[in-house]
Amino acid sequence: MAEAFSLYTGQESLIHTLHPLTKLTLAAFLLVGGLALPGPWLTYILFSAVLIPLALLARVLPRLLSLAWRVVLPFAISVFLIQGFLWPGGTPLVAIGPLSLKREGLLFAVTSVGRILMVVTSFLWFALTTRPDLLMTSLVQRGLPSNLAYIIVATIQIIPRFQQRAATILDAQRARGLETGGNLRQRARGVLPLVVPLILSSLVDVEERALAVEARAFSHPGKKTSFIEIAEYGWEPLLRWVVIIAIAALLGLSIWLRTL
Amino acid sequence: MYPGARLPALRDISLDIPEGQFYAVVGPNQAGKSTLAYAMTGYIPHFYRGRLEGSVTVAGMDTRATPLHELVLTAGLIFQNPFNQISGTKFTVREEIAFGLENLGMPRGEMQTRVDETMELVGINRLADRSPLALSGGEMQRVAIASILAMKPKVLVLDEPTSQLDPIGSREVFSAVRSLMSAEKMTVVMIEHKLEWVAVFADHVIAMVDGQILANGSPTDVLTADALQMAGVGQTRYTRAARRARDLGSWPDQHELPVTLEEAEEAFRRLKTGG
Repeated sequence: MAEAFSLYTGQESLIHTLHPLTKLTLAAFLLVGGLALPGPWLTYILFSAVLIPLALLARVLPRLLSLAWRVVLPFAISVFLIQGFLWPGGTPLVAIGPLSLKREGLLFAVTSVGRILMVVTSFLWFALTTRPDLLMTSLVQRGLPSNLAYIIVATIQIIPRFQQRAATILDAQRARGLETGGNLRQRARGVLPLVVPLILSSLVDVEERALAVEARAFSHPGKKTSFIEIAEYGWEPLLRWVVIIAIAALLGLSIWLRTL
Repeated sequence: MYPGARLPALRDISLDIPEGQFYAVVGPNQAGKSTLAYAMTGYIPHFYRGRLEGSVTVAGMDTRATPLHELVLTAGLIFQNPFNQISGTKFTVREEIAFGLENLGMPRGEMQTRVDETMELVGINRLADRSPLALSGGEMQRVAIASILAMKPKVLVLDEPTSQLDPIGSREVFSAVRSLMSAEKMTVVMIEHKLEWVAVFADHVIAMVDGQILANGSPTDVLTADALQMAGVGQTRYTRAARRARDLGSWPDQHELPVTLEEAEEAFRRLKTGG
């Protein structure tokens, strides 16, 4: 089942048994905190004090870190180099030849990386612990138009789908003699025969999918029902409200801290 | 006529398909067979906004006047690619089949009964708790068929349902369609290239070339006519074997050409015994 919703890991943990909307509010809390909290260090505190325990509770910490690493590290390296060396003015800390590392630039980089870290990890935590189909059903039951819910769920899965398709196209083109090794120039030439089929075949697929979904009465007016029941603990609605209030408090705190 | 096209995809189509029959539509590629399928199920004119002249009536409903979401309940359409028909939003086959019923707002208890009935009908009970995306092509296609059948349409249109399947998958799909035809009073229109299967299962065959219907008759009539073969409509390997025999002079002119394995066996046996 893992290939269906490739990010979702079917683990057994307290977090996995929570209602999708509860997890959504928690992820929103992490996201808002990551973006709103000022200063370079608060986001890291949020990361260590809230996200890591949540990930541990969900038993997804290793996978979460290994996935997050791949996105955050390249970003961190580039932002440190760019902001560190190219910060206009500021106090130089280290000189390397004609360039010097600026303190303000580094602090800015630390802040940016902290924010990206929270954005990426909050999304990953949510995606690793939530079944997209349950998410869609719960959103639709709460009144979200089903078209929108379908788009959200389909988008979450689009990355693994693209990957699978890209792998197939790569094999097919290789079988036709496409050079995939070699120097940078050769590789650059090989990009077009891979990207064009990927985009075109995806567009053709979208049309067929639209037809097929239409055939299942997707545009039928009226309220939709749900085949499966999504269970939740009795305390979850209360928890959701608490988290929502916490988000508001977090926003208030962030605004207040910035005025200091 | 599709938007932006120079020529119409379908010309001078006049067709009457009675209830409860299995019609096969054959012909070379680009003959307009898929366009016919879309016209029969309401995607033309509602989804593909080209120009439609004339009228199409399905089970008493005019396709132009009835909205698409109502038409799909009467005429279901199955496509070539099984993968694209799986919603991708459901965890198990059982839930996948219920997807259409959810959209119709059916109460949960009724849905469960309907899903079980449909799985029984299509013969996919053992797939009930599997993930829809982890199935073989033949299994996926049968799940797609079950998903449409759960909504109890009167007409089932299949657009080359086995073209992306291996022989086993193809046979599974044909058997499923055949068994549900005998169980329900369903009208089936199947676009197919696998003529050996068409010859066995179809009550009538429609041959299309270049957007026009060239023939509408029994499998034997349509699949043995020389004129149609020259126009690009294929023939089964049994017919081709018999034609070869005829070219070599071993086949008496008055004997009909066979279209199925049984007919071929019978015919060649008669030849051997000199009857």
